[in-house]
Amino acid sequence: MTEPLFDELIHPSTRLSLMATLTAADWAEFGYLKEQLGLSDSALSKQLATLEEAGYVTTERRLSGTRRKVRARLTDTGRTAFQGHIAALQEIIAEAAGRPDGS
Amino acid sequence: MDGIAAEEARTALDAADRARRQVEQEIGLPRGYWWAMAGGWLLLGVLGSEAPRWAAGMATVVFGAAHTTLAARLLDGRRRTGRLQVSRSVAGHRVPLIVVGMLVVLVGATILAALVLDADGAGHAAIWAAVLVAAVVGFGGPEILRVLRRWARA
Repeated sequence: MTEPLFDELIHPSTRLSLMATLTAADWAEFGYLKEQLGLSDSALSKQLATLEEAGYVTTERRLSGTRRKVRARLTDTGRTAFQGHIAALQEIIAEAAGRPDGS
Repeated sequence: MDGIAAEEARTALDAADRARRQVEQEIGLPRGYWWAMAGGWLLLGVLGSEAPRWAAGMATVVFGAAHTTLAARLLDGRRRTGRLQVSRSVAGHRVPLIVVGMLVVLVGATILAALVLDADGAGHAAIWAAVLVAAVVGFGGPEILRVLRRWARA
């Protein structure tokens, strides 16, 4: 059972989607993430750098033919943080459902 | 908790769920697998009809061995493209069973088609049956697998 732990760093929608995508994959290429999230190169780089600084994501540069491609993957710390954040969101909803006004 | 309203939490969970479902869409086998399978099907059909029995038998064994080698790496459905690798927990373990089941049914369909064509007096019935099923595999393999996965909820 994952302990609910709200994470301010993950919560913004772009980073949440990025983390959710990486949770469902062993790794994903920069191009794929950019397309799925509808971000520019610089915006995605910035989000990845933020998550990498927090130790949630690692990136590696690989040579594919003549082009360099960036792969991102979630770290164990990132996976735990994401699961904790999801559990915290579920807890918020469950608590609200228990309140008379439902908010 | 942290001043987050339930509605906002629900929206965030929906976004996370949507991202996961997008990754699920990537489960499948590479396009090249289906074309290689179609090519093999055609070759076996021609050999089965035109070549000596031993040659057809050898070709079937080689085809089966090659498929087994490929299958070990690809059949889990996690490497459809080179752009991401779907995690084992998302891909599940039923995709290989579905692909193998699909191939067994297609072998049955090839035999049935050959028998029907032969009974109808068509020349080279086995080859035409193989052409028909190879076309189905090559053009429709990914879509058939997608539908079967949905049916099997895999």
